[in-house]
Amino acid sequence: MSTKHSEDDGFRAATLEFLDPLYGAALRLTRNADRAQDLVQDTYLKAIRAQRSFAQGTNLKAWLYTILQNTWRNRQRDGARSRVEFDSEAVERSAEAVGRLRPSGYGEPGSQRFETPESLLMRDTLNADLQAAIDGLAAAFREVVWLRDVDELTYQEIADVLDIPIGTVMSRLSRGRKQLYEALVKRA
Amino acid sequence: MNCRQVEEQLAEYVDGVSKNAASIAAHLDGCANCRASAHAQTVARSVLRAQAAELSPIAPPGLRTRVIAHLDQDLKTSRPQDLLGWTGRLTAFAAAAMVVLTLGAVLLPIATVRSTALLAAQLALDHLKCFTIEGDADGEPIAKEQAEATLKQEFDFSVAVPAPLAAEKLELMAVRRCLYGDGRAAHLMYRLDGEPLSLFIVPGLTRPAAELSLFGHDQVVWTQGDRTYMLVARGGNRNQLSRVASYLRNEAK
Repeated sequence: MSTKHSEDDGFRAATLEFLDPLYGAALRLTRNADRAQDLVQDTYLKAIRAQRSFAQGTNLKAWLYTILQNTWRNRQRDGARSRVEFDSEAVERSAEAVGRLRPSGYGEPGSQRFETPESLLMRDTLNADLQAAIDGLAAAFREVVWLRDVDELTYQEIADVLDIPIGTVMSRLSRGRKQLYEALVKRA
Repeated sequence: MNCRQVEEQLAEYVDGVSKNAASIAAHLDGCANCRASAHAQTVARSVLRAQAAELSPIAPPGLRTRVIAHLDQDLKTSRPQDLLGWTGRLTAFAAAAMVVLTLGAVLLPIATVRSTALLAAQLALDHLKCFTIEGDADGEPIAKEQAEATLKQEFDFSVAVPAPLAAEKLELMAVRRCLYGDGRAAHLMYRLDGEPLSLFIVPGLTRPAAELSLFGHDQVVWTQGDRTYMLVARGGNRNQLSRVASYLRNEAK
């Protein structure tokens, strides 16, 4: 009994190592600090309840991300009835259609630019520019690029987390990186 | 391989995990568009990797306590709870804003960019990539003659490389070919007082003299003959950078 208890404590401690990246992922999805915290709390509850389904030797961070993404998707589905259908594929399609409609007042007061707590806390210009360029990516691209280049997940792990085919991971990664580069250069 | 096949596999190639690296490299040799795409992706990934630690947000101080308290509570009660306080809806505003903020996937034709600011931005990113990721300048300082010989032998560039300058603690660390402008540009890597400093030499391009400040870095631009020179260093000490710029301008003739 006490052995099982300490095992559980160990698992919980291991998952809490990823509190910061999970909060970051929640912030990228919700774009709101309060809702991000709700999402993280909910993710932990599900993770601990489902800890027997975690396969030892696999990537715990990727597993937690998957739970967080599923939780988020469920929330959106529950809240989406009778609202405009809004999924990542639609974003990708409209990205191409409205790519040139980006307002010239981007980043100025009153423009439709989100300031996340992250971007407000940025310490130097490079990171402020980089954060703004990341924020400007379509959600579908941003998440793939982040999971790969910041979190270093494998393509397969990213495919599992986002529940998309591995080919889609690669094409979104290519396009997301190119858009990020272009956005950085354009900020000059 | 054609452009479409290459494009599909470019992410793996950029990540160094492609099984078709040789055929993709062969295609890139002869295709400026795909090469530009590979370059943009490489730079974007490098900059993200370099800044990953600083970019990652830190959870608010109370969140850990809140999560732990919640898990303890759940353990005690041990019954399913409805935790979905928030409905998770995206407002129409958020949806519209996310779409508007989206960029098109059109890549700038890198080699033909006209604006000095765009050139400065691209080279500032290259500066970050080479110093922070590839560690090209992590070794011992080298001599001016060695740098000139390397540029001549490996890249067929005839470039006068400015010598190190003890008075400003300017050391020459490495030279390499820059991916910018179809790989025709030279990248001279220095350290100024220990901090990375780059001098890019782009042949066949003339730009008016300018001083810029992008991505937390300062840039000084000038043209000599048919070559544009661009100095890139971390921002903060304009006076020292101006002194070093005029030294390099004289030496690089």
